[in-house]
Amino acid sequence: MTRVIEIPAHLDDRSFEQFAAGFGTWPPDEKLLFDARGAQWSSPYGLIGLLTAGQAIAEERRERPLFAVPASTDVKSYWSRIGFFRYATDLFELHGKVPKAAASGPSDALLDVTPVRAMEDVHEAVNRISETAARILRAELGLERTATGRFSMALSEACQNIVEHAGTGGWVAAQTYTFRRRLGRRVAVIAVSDAGIGFRRSLESTHAKRFGDRWGDGAALEAALIQNVSRFRDPGRGQGFRQIKPFLDKWEGKISIRSGTARLAIVPVWDEDVPLSEHLPFFPGAQVQITIPAPDTESR
Amino acid sequence: MIETIRIGTLLRETAATPYRNLITRPTGAAVRDRIEAALAESDCATALLDFSDIELLDFSCADEVVAKLLLADSDRGGRMVVLQGLSHDQYEAIEQVLNHHGLAVVAVSSGDGSGMPQLIGWVSADARQAFRCLCELGALRATQLAHALGWTDARCRETLRALLARRLVRSEGELYFPITIA
Repeated sequence: MTRVIEIPAHLDDRSFEQFAAGFGTWPPDEKLLFDARGAQWSSPYGLIGLLTAGQAIAEERRERPLFAVPASTDVKSYWSRIGFFRYATDLFELHGKVPKAAASGPSDALLDVTPVRAMEDVHEAVNRISETAARILRAELGLERTATGRFSMALSEACQNIVEHAGTGGWVAAQTYTFRRRLGRRVAVIAVSDAGIGFRRSLESTHAKRFGDRWGDGAALEAALIQNVSRFRDPGRGQGFRQIKPFLDKWEGKISIRSGTARLAIVPVWDEDVPLSEHLPFFPGAQVQITIPAPDTESR
Repeated sequence: MIETIRIGTLLRETAATPYRNLITRPTGAAVRDRIEAALAESDCATALLDFSDIELLDFSCADEVVAKLLLADSDRGGRMVVLQGLSHDQYEAIEQVLNHHGLAVVAVSSGDGSGMPQLIGWVSADARQAFRCLCELGALRATQLAHALGWTDARCRETLRALLARRLVRSEGELYFPITIA
């Protein structure tokens, strides 16, 4: 039997839940087919989420999933330019014609899909984004220079979390696009995802006792994002997300972290998201999205 | 004597990278090790850490390089640490990290050290005021500083004691000095 997991036409952090629900139990027992033929658009969060699923299945030593590539030439071409297929080839058995990245033209992404396995990869990602971020964020979003520096710092901290806590590798990508549905403005988005042990297991040995019966994926996210705890005894640890918050406050930014069956967000006024969602379909590792909108010129 | 340590040079030597981004904890720890090694061989009274060659400093490195260097206080005797050449982003990153640890450090803004020194991090309002007054007026006795600020002698001496203990000012005899690097 093959289980078909339909990729939502618009794959982002919201519709990701529909994708995650498609697995049924985890790890999945059946062979999987990721059906992306109807895909019209994906955020960086969606694309690296797909790679994370492929990676997690490989690490569970399950059969390599099939992947039906998008029917849309434009969508395929974009996914190719941003580097998705470069890594998807190793994780999935691709079905459908995939354009070569070189033939798809240069990527306009802030940061193409980039694997994060070691601290050297964090350096590589930050160095790459530093070269383009200031120019693109200023030109497209009208952000000040201080904001572009903070954007790179946020990327650095989010990627380091993978190396230090996940116990396996992950992915990062960043892009600007127009956030029509919820905001009607341009946004810059950093997405970071790993297939690792997740926040609950990372913090369990040092913090679960304090939470008692409440301990779970949601409590672990609260501990990390709100209480800034870390599994390390070093008092300077666990501050990465805390230090990002003033930057998010200043620029009306949003951070959401999904791990296991829960998702926690710091929600700005322009968004309708709920701060904490629990009892979601299980998905391995942790997925972080940081969204910085262009300043609202009408209200200033 | 002042020992100037160019953080950008240490970064290039430590990480063998052409970039000027001081990021990730292992890199920060390696750079701090190099700073501590340099200071261990020096009998300088002031260590001037020059960040002017650094483009990006993330919170992890602000913690590893600056906060942990200050926390290793007992190993550096009476030596003062001064930061120089910080960008706005770097200043804010260091300030957030030092606030978390309850630490403070002196920073000078311009490359030649002629800018007014500033305190970064966690200090009381009195300490900040006394520090600013010393920087503006130069070396003063405690009674002179108290007079200049309109404080009681006891309040002034207590504030100076706190600044001295954290090596944010220095004293010679009865005089208290701001940190100067020019």
